[in-house]
Amino acid sequence: MNVEIVDLTRRFGRTEAVAGVSLQAGPGVFGLLGPNGAGKTSLLRMLATVIQPSSGTLRLLGRDPGSYGPRREIRRRLGYLPQNLGYYPGFTVAEFVEYFALLKDMPPSRVPAAVATAVERTGLGDKARAKLRTLSGGMLRRAGIAQAIVNEPDLLLLDEPTAGLDPEQRVAFRALLRDLGERATVIVSTHLVEDVGAACTQVALMDAGKVVFYGTPAELTARADGTDAAGDAPLERGYSAVLAAVRS
Amino acid sequence: MSDIGTGATPPPDVDLDRVWIGVAAQVWRRQPGPAERTAGRLLRSPGLARALLTTPSLLLPWLIASVAVLAVGAVATRGTGEPLVALLAPGVAGAGIAYAYGPGIDPAWELSRSMAVSDRMVLLVRAFAVFAVNAVLGLAASFASGTAAALTFGWLIPMTAVCALALAAATVVRSPNAGVAAGLAGWTITLLSGQAATGQYTVVLSASALVPVYLAVAAVCAAVVAYATRLPKGTT
Repeated sequence: MNVEIVDLTRRFGRTEAVAGVSLQAGPGVFGLLGPNGAGKTSLLRMLATVIQPSSGTLRLLGRDPGSYGPRREIRRRLGYLPQNLGYYPGFTVAEFVEYFALLKDMPPSRVPAAVATAVERTGLGDKARAKLRTLSGGMLRRAGIAQAIVNEPDLLLLDEPTAGLDPEQRVAFRALLRDLGERATVIVSTHLVEDVGAACTQVALMDAGKVVFYGTPAELTARADGTDAAGDAPLERGYSAVLAAVRS
Repeated sequence: MSDIGTGATPPPDVDLDRVWIGVAAQVWRRQPGPAERTAGRLLRSPGLARALLTTPSLLLPWLIASVAVLAVGAVATRGTGEPLVALLAPGVAGAGIAYAYGPGIDPAWELSRSMAVSDRMVLLVRAFAVFAVNAVLGLAASFASGTAAALTFGWLIPMTAVCALALAAATVVRSPNAGVAAGLAGWTITLLSGQAATGQYTVVLSASALVPVYLAVAAVCAAVVAYATRLPKGTT
């Protein structure tokens, strides 16, 4: 298992953002659904080793990220797209991706080809030498995805990756996710249930810091059977049904 | 062979995607300059070298501004006899350190914190480099101004304390401007205190009794920076 979480919590002052989450994930695309404030981003930040848990056990790629050496090794094999990416306006797309490839400790001889591959895979080939300040929001998001995949990570964490992408780009991105999930563990946090339905093999639904559903998209859809849950699509109705049941 | 260059379909054993990636890798490749190559060899990390070369206060515009301020100080020192370079150098260095590193100046701060090259190592290297560059610039300006030897070197220890204070404030408040303000305020208060106590503000540069105080301030501020940049855990 690339991700092993047991009873993980994270508090911010008096707020318990993540409240006793236990999960395991191997290769494949894993969707993390939930309303705003459910704890998805806090969970992803812990998995990205940006913050430490308040309590519980976390093992990533078979290592304990609490110690410096294993954490560094995890980070070499990690790809992360934060919710708020932030970018250097004067960098070109290729320079931006190269910068993070170097910070991931990739061997310099491998970096140029890895950058070219990541830029092409995200459909930014014609913008590789464009300054980031000239790009649209969707293109910036794709540049963020390119830096996340440049090291061919074994664990890829994407927080709202499709925000700002147009429908055509989202379809292409889902295909990329499925491809990446063939060998890596890809965890995608999103509000968009259609992304989960199209690309994910497993899904967890979070609410108030807890995982309230864990299973396949088909199993989530089935939760709407026999209910009058709201939603325009079967998966959306399953999502609503689970949340309604938890909150009732 | 005759088909090549005519737009015809390539032979089936030619992987055009792979060829294109090879071409793109060469076309988009950025050639590191001599400074980056040297830093990469010294630091034994190309990533750290790249992070160092992107330090805002080591970029050319900032360096030109620092040189200009110190040059004006050197000219004024020669004209008035007042050791202005010694008074300016700690403030200039403190501002540079405040703009060396941190969430306030790094747009991709969150992402940087998930990298194998740790943000603490980036901080250490950037702070050391900015300090060293500013020390060299300040010493050059001091020599050019013809200041007495005691004052020429006298500001190095106070500069360490001002830089540490600026870095600590910038890191804790997450704002480089707060760091600059703290460094300049601290140095100004020190100078005014010296003036009030002895009638000479240059006493804060020459009094050996103050050296332990400067070093203590620097040590405390370094500890604050180390605490503020730890991997946050617990309940905060």
